Amino acid sequence: MMSTIGGLLSHLPRRATLFAAIVATLPIVGPGVAGAQTILNVAQSRDPQNLDPIDTFRLAWGSVASNIFDGLIHRTEDLELEPGLATSWEFLDDDTRIRFHLREGVVFHNGEPFNAAAVQYTFERLLGEAGAAGPQRANYTSISAIEVVDEFTVDFLMNQPDPVLITKLAGYGAMIVPPQYIEEVGEEAFDMHPVGTGPFQVVEYSPTIGLELARFDGYWNGQAQVDGVNIRFIPEAATRMSELLSGGVDISLDIETTSVDTIRNNANVDLVTVDGPSVTILRFNTSEGITQDPQVRRAITMAIDRPTIIEAMLGGLASPISSAQGSGSFGYDPELSPYDYDPEGARALLAAAGIEPGTEITLDMNNSNDTFREISQVIAAYLSQVGLELNIRSHETSVYFNDILANGRTGEMFLFGWGGWTFDFDNTAYLLYHTGERNNPYIDDAHLNALLELERSTYDVDVREQALQDVAAYAHENALDLPLYNTSTLYGVNQRVEGFVPAPDLRMRYMDITVN
Amino acid sequence: MPVIRFIFVRFLQAILVTMAVTLFVAFAIRLTGDPVVMMVSEASNVTEEDLARIRESLGLNQPFLMQYFEFVKNLARGDLGDSFFRGPVWDLISVALPATLLLAATSMFVSILVSIPLGIYSAVHKGGLADQMIRVLSLVGLSFPNFWLGIMLVLVFSITFPFFPASGFDGLASLVLPSVTIGIILTATNVRLVRTTMLEILGAQYVMVARAKGLSERKVIYKHALRNGAIALVTFMGLQFGNLIGGLVVVELVFNWPGMGTLSVEAIAQRDYPLLQATVSILAIMIVGVNLAVDLIYGLIDPRIRVS
Amino acid sequence: MAEQTQNLPARTRFRLKYRRFFKFEFLLGALLTGVLGTLVILSTWIFPEGGRSVDLLARLTPPFLSWEHPLGTDPLGRDILERVILGGRISFAVGLLSAAGAVLLGTVIGLLAGYYRGIWDTLIMRFADIQLALPFILLAITVIAIVGPGIDRIIVLMIVSQWVQYARLVRSSVLSLREREFVQAARSYGLRDRKIIFGHILPNALGPLIILLTLNVANNILLESSLTFLGLGADPQTPTWGGMLSEGRNYIQTAWWVTVFPGVTIMLTVLGLNLMGDWLRDELDPLGRTSR
Repeated sequence: MMSTIGGLLSHLPRRATLFAAIVATLPIVGPGVAGAQTILNVAQSRDPQNLDPIDTFRLAWGSVASNIFDGLIHRTEDLELEPGLATSWEFLDDDTRIRFHLREGVVFHNGEPFNAAAVQYTFERLLGEAGAAGPQRANYTSISAIEVVDEFTVDFLMNQPDPVLITKLAGYGAMIVPPQYIEEVGEEAFDMHPVGTGPFQVVEYSPTIGLELARFDGYWNGQAQVDGVNIRFIPEAATRMSELLSGGVDISLDIETTSVDTIRNNANVDLVTVDGPSVTILRFNTSEGITQDPQVRRAITMAIDRPTIIEAMLGGLASPISSAQGSGSFGYDPELSPYDYDPEGARALLAAAGIEPGTEITLDMNNSNDTFREISQVIAAYLSQVGLELNIRSHETSVYFNDILANGRTGEMFLFGWGGWTFDFDNTAYLLYHTGERNNPYIDDAHLNALLELERSTYDVDVREQALQDVAAYAHENALDLPLYNTSTLYGVNQRVEGFVPAPDLRMRYMDITVN
Repeated sequence: MPVIRFIFVRFLQAILVTMAVTLFVAFAIRLTGDPVVMMVSEASNVTEEDLARIRESLGLNQPFLMQYFEFVKNLARGDLGDSFFRGPVWDLISVALPATLLLAATSMFVSILVSIPLGIYSAVHKGGLADQMIRVLSLVGLSFPNFWLGIMLVLVFSITFPFFPASGFDGLASLVLPSVTIGIILTATNVRLVRTTMLEILGAQYVMVARAKGLSERKVIYKHALRNGAIALVTFMGLQFGNLIGGLVVVELVFNWPGMGTLSVEAIAQRDYPLLQATVSILAIMIVGVNLAVDLIYGLIDPRIRVS
Repeated sequence: MAEQTQNLPARTRFRLKYRRFFKFEFLLGALLTGVLGTLVILSTWIFPEGGRSVDLLARLTPPFLSWEHPLGTDPLGRDILERVILGGRISFAVGLLSAAGAVLLGTVIGLLAGYYRGIWDTLIMRFADIQLALPFILLAITVIAIVGPGIDRIIVLMIVSQWVQYARLVRSSVLSLREREFVQAARSYGLRDRKIIFGHILPNALGPLIILLTLNVANNILLESSLTFLGLGADPQTPTWGGMLSEGRNYIQTAWWVTVFPGVTIMLTVLGLNLMGDWLRDELDPLGRTSR
């Protein structure tokens, strides 16, 4: 009897549970203790804020919405592009027209059919007025128009080449949305309770608290194993860990590297890792202070023992990098190796550049990164050994991006973390080095601009790869920044979970997972 | 009608105070940069024109006073407006406010339940061993950093011995650890409050008279002293309300409690101006309201402290 | 001694016993605050490295195993004992400076308001209302976002938001004192206002003020640790108790000592100050005016 009530309670919408649980004064109803149904409980750090594909660019959205929506293209956990809602595609008319053949028999969660009109509606909405109010549109402006050829064939007309477009169609703003439903309920209701073609449908979204998903039985590509997924948003890393270790959640995303030992020492929870796109780099103020001098920048790079930091502080779950990309990224050059740890050499370079021992420099960072808060202090210790005294300024995240970074008010060094989900160096390199980019306050280099514009304007894979490798080599040669490491994407997974496949880009799909 | 004038003046003051608080917060938060940069902080290829367009769609191109005036106008109609990211503010508040009130009320209730008997016992047996123990223990209770206490409780009662959920709000069990965390600190204060109040009353003349009439000590304490002390207690506990809410913010964060504190901090982090304005206004209204009520009760009982 | 007390009336005996309790309370408080305070004052000389010596090979050494690291080490291999003692510098500085600033500002304004009344009076009371209605933590998060993090800003914030309680206290003392005979007498002798305020009124209001001050130092130490815990305080390299708790919380399941020792130290410090404050209250303010 008790378990039936418990089962009922856990299926009420969260808001109702809140009061029902109090009024019923039941004995402890643990999260996810449901009767016959199996619910997967997941914790992630952040709230997507808005479930509409065109309104977001949060990784948190990707972790949630990959279960609700499909794109024309599907990218697997191995980063292979494969047919999604489009079964095949071809480039026509000198690559100015891309033709997609669509999958038949797909329906949205509300029963609405998927067809060429839905694709056209999706992209016209993204590129039109609704999309203009969101951050997604900027990624898809290479598309000039969408033409419906027949019910299951659609053409994309391009106004410029976009070599990364096919990849971008596998994520975020390009998720296919239902025209009738949106027209019916309106934009605002769609934000909170969207409908897609994915394996799960939204039951209830409680902003800042959690999201409940239920299996969609009409999914075109198999059936989800669990009946539902309960995703909770827990910003505090320590609280996420507590939930994971106490069994409150089955899977936790966004595991801080500082927690690696804790998970490894726990018998009930596994640490699952996969090479991810996230790189952590220190950037230099190349237009003011002692870091104007490439010799000084190189000396700083040589003064820091990155392999030891990775081993000791990151539990070995990261790899050293020579440019702001991991080995899985398009544009990665295995020949380019990072500067070796060489404190003697660093001291010599500093002396040659006329830097007095005891010179003070400043590192700016945002305060929401527990792992880097520690590593910044290790870096300070390394720098003090070559005679540089590092001051660390930690800013509130929004202030950091709004003001310190955007307005070029940093000290000699500043922290930058990036994880281009496209796994293509284009995205990262452009925003780091191209003149006038919001995140590039200091670098203005004609050579880099030319290379970046070249790779962006062609579909020729070899030309692009060469250009991107040249960018990386040039940045390395001039020590424009200090690439620290490429971190693995970490998941904490309870042993009762089976079939967990880690997503390198945090775009988790819970379809094939079971809970015992 | 001095009573009506008194109520009217205090009421007007309460409204002005609330307005001042919101105006300050609304102004201050805008000094820290707008939400648009945060919105696109994980995006690439975003140009200044894109930013300008998003700003416009959020109404951020309007002058500050216009934005604030709009907010006040809507507030007066009971409309809290829309969050920048998450739909109507009211939908968020309607979840967070009950959660916070529940947590506050539970902690308060538990602490009163514990502190009244302890405080009376301590006062009646003033100077005894039990009194000394209670006093020192209550001081220990006041000396914990509340977030640390929360973390320790989770370590012991959720992880080492998994009795209670470590975070969130899902059923009664999840209420236990956060309310104990707040409750311990609250109890420590309240025990001392009850003790001094009782000491004062037990020394008062009418209690002496009651004693002299030969009433039993038990009757003196429970019938006369406690009843008279109750008003004073309620008043002081009411005045603690603001502190309670302040302490709640941190505890809510530690336990990921979906309340007003978590929501406000989130609103600050995301620069969600409408949401922050609403949460702060509501917290201010609550605090000012409780203080007003305390004042009114007090003023009605003791006419000497009416507006002079 | 024991024999003598037995012959005394019950009430006096009770008094004496109570007196002894005061002493115990005071001794414990003085001991805690004194020992910690002395260590903290001397820390700069004892640990010239400033708690920054990173040793990745010795990271997370458990406590009680070696003389080198009696309380173990943190995730960067730094000595916890050293950092706990050094961390006290910030806590004590914040606690003392903020309380001193608030008491100075509050006393002056409170004296003026109580003595002259009028507009000052109204301003203070309204300011107090506003202060009460805005939870300090939210205010701090917002203001720190504008002015940037730092211990100096936290101290200023605390002063700005706490002078009111002193002002109110002083004001109410003044209000009740200014009508008393000795003030009236002083005035009739033609003494100047300033002389009356500082020579006659202030000394009489001093007791409650000192008590509030002690309690405030204790409270502000707690507050500082909360703010640093939230990332609003000192820079990451300066050892502070709140910062240590904040950094240690991710290790709480594997390395409890990183959080437990700074946590206990905060508790003992605050307890010491509270015990002293309590004792002071009984000594200086038997009527319990400051008990709430």
